[in-house]
Amino acid sequence: MPKGQAMKYLIIHLAACVAVVAETILYQAAVIHTADRGVIENGQMLVQGDRITAVGKIVQVPRGARTVNLGKLQLYPGLIAATTSLGLTEINAVRATQDTTEVGGFTPDVEAWISVNPDSELIPVARANGFTHALVAPLGGVITGTSGLIKTAGWGVEDMTVKTRVALHIMWPVLSINPTPKSALRKPDNFKSPKDQAKERERKLRAIDQFFDQAEAYAKARAAHAGQEVFETIPSWECTLEAIAGRQPFMVHANSERQITSAVAWAKRRGYRIIIAAGLDAWRVADLLAKEKVAVVLDNVFRLPQRDTDSHEVNFRAAGVLNKAGVKVAHSVRMGNWGATEVRNITYAAARSMAYGLPREAGLRSITLHPAEMLGVDKQLGSLTAGKEATFIAVDGDLFDIRSNVKHMWIAGKPVSLESRHTRLYEKYKNRPKPKAVQR
Amino acid sequence: MLIRWIAVVSCLIGHTGTTAEIRPPGETPLPYGAHVLMGGRVVVKPGLVVEGATVLIRNGRIEDVLPKDKPGIPADARVWEMKGKTIYAGFIDPYLSLGEGKAKPVSNRWIVPIEARAGINFKGVPTTKEDMGGKGPGYEIAEIHPQEKISDDFTPNAKAFAGLRELGFTAANFIPAQGIIRGNSALALLGDGDPNQLLLRPQTLQHMALEPAKDYPHSLMGVIAAIRQTVLDARHHGAMQTWAHRNPAGPRPEYNPALESLNSVLRAQSKQRVAVEPGSILMTARMAKLAKELEFDPVFVATGQEWRRPEILEQFDLPYIVPVMFPVVPDLPEEQDWDQVSLDQLRAWDWAPEVPALLAKHKRPFSFTLHGLGDHKSFRKNIQQAIQRGLSEDIALAALTTEPAALLGAQADLGTVEKGRLANLTIVDGDSWFNPDQPVSSVWIEGRHYVNDPKEKKGEDSGKAETSAEPTPRTAKIPGNYRGVLKEPASILILNATVWTSGPSGVVTNASIRIADGRIAAIGPDIGAPIPFDGIIIDATGKHVTPGLIDCHSHSMILGGVNEATLPSTAMVRIADVVNSETENIYRQLAGGLTTANLLHGSANPIGGQNAVIKLRHGALPDDMIFSKAPAGIKFALGENVKQSNWGDKKTTRFPQTRMGVKTFFVNRFTAARQYLAEQRANRATGPPVRRNLELDALGEILRGERLIHCHSYRQDEMLVFLRTMERFGIRVGSLQHVLEGYKIADEIAAHGAGASSFADWWAYKFEVYDAIPYNGALLYERGAVVSFNSDSSDLARRLNLESAKAVKYGGIPEAEALKFVTLNPAKQLGIDRWVGSLEVGKDADFVIWNGHPLNTQTLCDETWIEGRQYYDRTKTAARFEAMADERAALLAKAQNKKPNENAGLAARAAFFRRAMEKAHTLNNCYECRKAKP
Repeated sequence: MPKGQAMKYLIIHLAACVAVVAETILYQAAVIHTADRGVIENGQMLVQGDRITAVGKIVQVPRGARTVNLGKLQLYPGLIAATTSLGLTEINAVRATQDTTEVGGFTPDVEAWISVNPDSELIPVARANGFTHALVAPLGGVITGTSGLIKTAGWGVEDMTVKTRVALHIMWPVLSINPTPKSALRKPDNFKSPKDQAKERERKLRAIDQFFDQAEAYAKARAAHAGQEVFETIPSWECTLEAIAGRQPFMVHANSERQITSAVAWAKRRGYRIIIAAGLDAWRVADLLAKEKVAVVLDNVFRLPQRDTDSHEVNFRAAGVLNKAGVKVAHSVRMGNWGATEVRNITYAAARSMAYGLPREAGLRSITLHPAEMLGVDKQLGSLTAGKEATFIAVDGDLFDIRSNVKHMWIAGKPVSLESRHTRLYEKYKNRPKPKAVQR
Repeated sequence: MLIRWIAVVSCLIGHTGTTAEIRPPGETPLPYGAHVLMGGRVVVKPGLVVEGATVLIRNGRIEDVLPKDKPGIPADARVWEMKGKTIYAGFIDPYLSLGEGKAKPVSNRWIVPIEARAGINFKGVPTTKEDMGGKGPGYEIAEIHPQEKISDDFTPNAKAFAGLRELGFTAANFIPAQGIIRGNSALALLGDGDPNQLLLRPQTLQHMALEPAKDYPHSLMGVIAAIRQTVLDARHHGAMQTWAHRNPAGPRPEYNPALESLNSVLRAQSKQRVAVEPGSILMTARMAKLAKELEFDPVFVATGQEWRRPEILEQFDLPYIVPVMFPVVPDLPEEQDWDQVSLDQLRAWDWAPEVPALLAKHKRPFSFTLHGLGDHKSFRKNIQQAIQRGLSEDIALAALTTEPAALLGAQADLGTVEKGRLANLTIVDGDSWFNPDQPVSSVWIEGRHYVNDPKEKKGEDSGKAETSAEPTPRTAKIPGNYRGVLKEPASILILNATVWTSGPSGVVTNASIRIADGRIAAIGPDIGAPIPFDGIIIDATGKHVTPGLIDCHSHSMILGGVNEATLPSTAMVRIADVVNSETENIYRQLAGGLTTANLLHGSANPIGGQNAVIKLRHGALPDDMIFSKAPAGIKFALGENVKQSNWGDKKTTRFPQTRMGVKTFFVNRFTAARQYLAEQRANRATGPPVRRNLELDALGEILRGERLIHCHSYRQDEMLVFLRTMERFGIRVGSLQHVLEGYKIADEIAAHGAGASSFADWWAYKFEVYDAIPYNGALLYERGAVVSFNSDSSDLARRLNLESAKAVKYGGIPEAEALKFVTLNPAKQLGIDRWVGSLEVGKDADFVIWNGHPLNTQTLCDETWIEGRQYYDRTKTAARFEAMADERAALLAKAQNKKPNENAGLAARAAFFRRAMEKAHTLNNCYECRKAKP
């Protein structure tokens, strides 16, 4: 064992010792929804420091453990929003508050998590309804950059960042044709014939391939120069290395069936690992996605049907169809400001899918374990299992029922405030005295 | 003797004499004016063919038509052997426009994002503007210029005329191309000569088109309001002239050529007809009603969309002008691109050739026109297609001859091959013009012969490819097949339900409801069926029944733009003019239990348009969806939208630009409205006639308590100022919409008595909603305000029951009270709670059957009923959409089977993709469909 590595182990060991010294708490709750080992009624969960050490009907409790009886509350893992612009935007109409979208077609070296405003009022609002984590991803051109996973409580960016470089994001080119006649266009000069548009979309797809051909060439050159200081690194290419080596997934944002099949074929040809985000039409190619083991982050459950022969329920049923075919599904919100304000409602998108064919267990996983797995943090997060981080919430009813409220949240064993701009204003004006003008 | 007689006649009829006109040397002399066309097949008029008849022409007119072998052929006439040829009355195009700036079919692209032009004066107050938007005097809206005459600029176009003659046309009505009220068209002959000779009727039709202006009106409802105001102004102008004549010392009426020129359209007798280009089928019905209201006689330019609503053809007995422009199957780059093609587009393509037959079936007179046809060559082929789809040749011929002649008041001169008519004839080599292979070899125009260029000989193959139009029966169905009332029992008995009455009885378990005549007849734990019982029984064991949900803020069923954003006050525009009965949103929202919606104008200006409360009677025409008993209302707005805060840096000159100005503006308008009402009262007896001002009419109704204000508002300060300003004018505000900081002034809102119609939990999309909190509804409720949750979104409107659950979550409102946020309370805010909003005896039987607790996310809507009629049944949805998918598949196969016709003009190919205005939603990209930030 090299010296440096031994030192590292020692530090980790010491940290573990400190954790053991930290408090041990037994949580008792009416129901524990583990997300990976089913539902335990009247269960117990033992937390030592920041870790879950046992979950079960009755667990062995070490001496000195404190017991917290949560009564009728139900425990769920902390919720994870799989694709968001949370922290990158505050008020849609105020441009100065927007950090969601960068310019340029190929900007893999843009990093989203570094620009999260830790004091964004949107973050506590998401947290108040159970979201402990969110993937913050960049918008922009085609290759928009890499995303990072944040926790929704903390003192600053470094404190809140849980995992950097989670995925490399690609906004797959729109492959549909705009058939609007020239005469009907708002700007007729922008008219392109369907044939020209077909050529253009081929060019766009080729450009992605060319970009990654070059990235792979760079990777090869870099490997050949391994250990030599003369090699001059180029930030853009550097930020593609993890993804093309398969250590980091590509998150491909694609909605139409055609985009999705095109992206899946592309990934297969190049041997890349992809996740489909947005995924409006994903259910139409569920079998293909299952076969290629491509997971899907759905952000379109409440979108209106896109074809005039589609049932009004079409997007409500999507998650159920995908799940049945064996595709791993997560629910999230649209990128951008609107989605960032609506993170708290992701739960109800999942609930909608559940009402239309997604089994309950899969519904819970779609906002806990599945995103954790997709984002590569399932060893720490996503379920209530011994060994994982003690990040969980206590709800006064069924999580998926709008009438329920999240009453407590713990991130890494520590209770977190559920106060937000909304609760503060609520408390303030709830106590407003009746004005004189009205009293008379 | 004979020659002397001719000389007399030619003196009588002027310059078109046979011999009288001697051209100067150097110019080609005119031919002698007597002709005999012998031995042809003469189609005297539709339905009357005389084989081998003789047509006598003299002095430009038909002297006589003699049956075969009948004597009487004048000796001086030149004889034309017509054997093997067919003679028709010369064809007339009633709606023609040529050249560079020619008229295009009206745009159906009305769906624009919120947009406004700054710095223009709004109508209704004295203006400092010095021009009328164009040169010289005229109407205050530059696009309204009825005084224009196409005859003023009429110039013969020899090359174009020759092309028209090749199709058989001998006369055409030339139309103005631009504007909303466009001016007068003129009927002219398509021969050689100067304008004086060719113009047959210098003023035929007046023209209207529903097209946006550059400034006001920029929305469809705005255009209709502008037409309405213009006609009222014209009547007022006439009344002023009369008054001024009697009161020479009184105020001098202004000179207004635009209004004067509308006299001929509005006078009681021999009205000038108005050609209306409505652009969409629903607007055909709207304009037919408006014509009745304003008392003018319309002729409609058919939209090609008449198949969507054949009942509109039935309902209005009016003539049409039918553009023979049929979409053709386009060439798409790849097979997969066909996925983009919607059922609706395929239907429009498949139906198009059948529209003429549909008009004929409903016995509506119509004329054909080349209008909109990019490539005139397909004209005859298209008419052939129409005939293959059931149009009779006689009616088709009438549409080319007698109908346009009658429409243009030229039946004495044109339309038939009869004695006394102008000698306008169309000569076909063969036995039928309706066989496109038989060329129009020549035409006669006022007795002059025009030989067409012989048709270019084509190779056998290409000729065949061009006429590949095999008769194909129609595959497409009508939208009506998939909508409408599913069940309409005489009475209904619902048993064993958990009933959320939203009324004094609260939630009743194990309850029954009896419904008769569309109303609730009885409700309670143990009501039996009357004997005998002639209705249906619904066993609702385990199910919940609630009142039909009511959306107090919707834009989901509006046609042609939600905002008339051009002016700060557009109180004259009416959503009721532009309700879209064709959108799929109706079905989607019925499927979520919605039965009533308040369709509102947008929030782009302080005083928006008049609202329309509708019931979601799927399948009914727009006017039959209107909740007729609902009090009138109007949209107002405050804050960032009306002061154009987020419209870009250029929009900085329209008043108001601040919240200070918003209040100033309201005071200004209501003071003006007060004066207007006073003026109306004062002048009724003696003074000059008061101009009816549709903007001030609406504001006056507010002052009189006859119109409810629904005001888009966010910040506490602006809301309070607004309430106080309205109180100053004695107005109680109907509802504050959005009201997102309402929780900060809940007591004041409750005291004023304004309803509070909020979003459940939207926030942070604009600075003024940074303090929006989901507890808003609860806090307002606790302080005694009437609270509703609305959608403002075609998505949320599908699940308002779950939005109301947020009132339980945020603030702990009792469940039955929370449900009232989407049932009884919006009904109160809209003033319709006497009829809807709760399940009580005597109220409308608008109800929803849910398969579980209505506030539970896992609950689905099973059935939706309006007035005792079932409009949604969950068990029937799968079959509905399968049938639609099957129809599309069949149409797609048919379309792909047709080779793209390279010969078809660009316009026809483009037309395939021209989406009907009613269906602008289809691809999810219009303002209403996007989750637009309110």
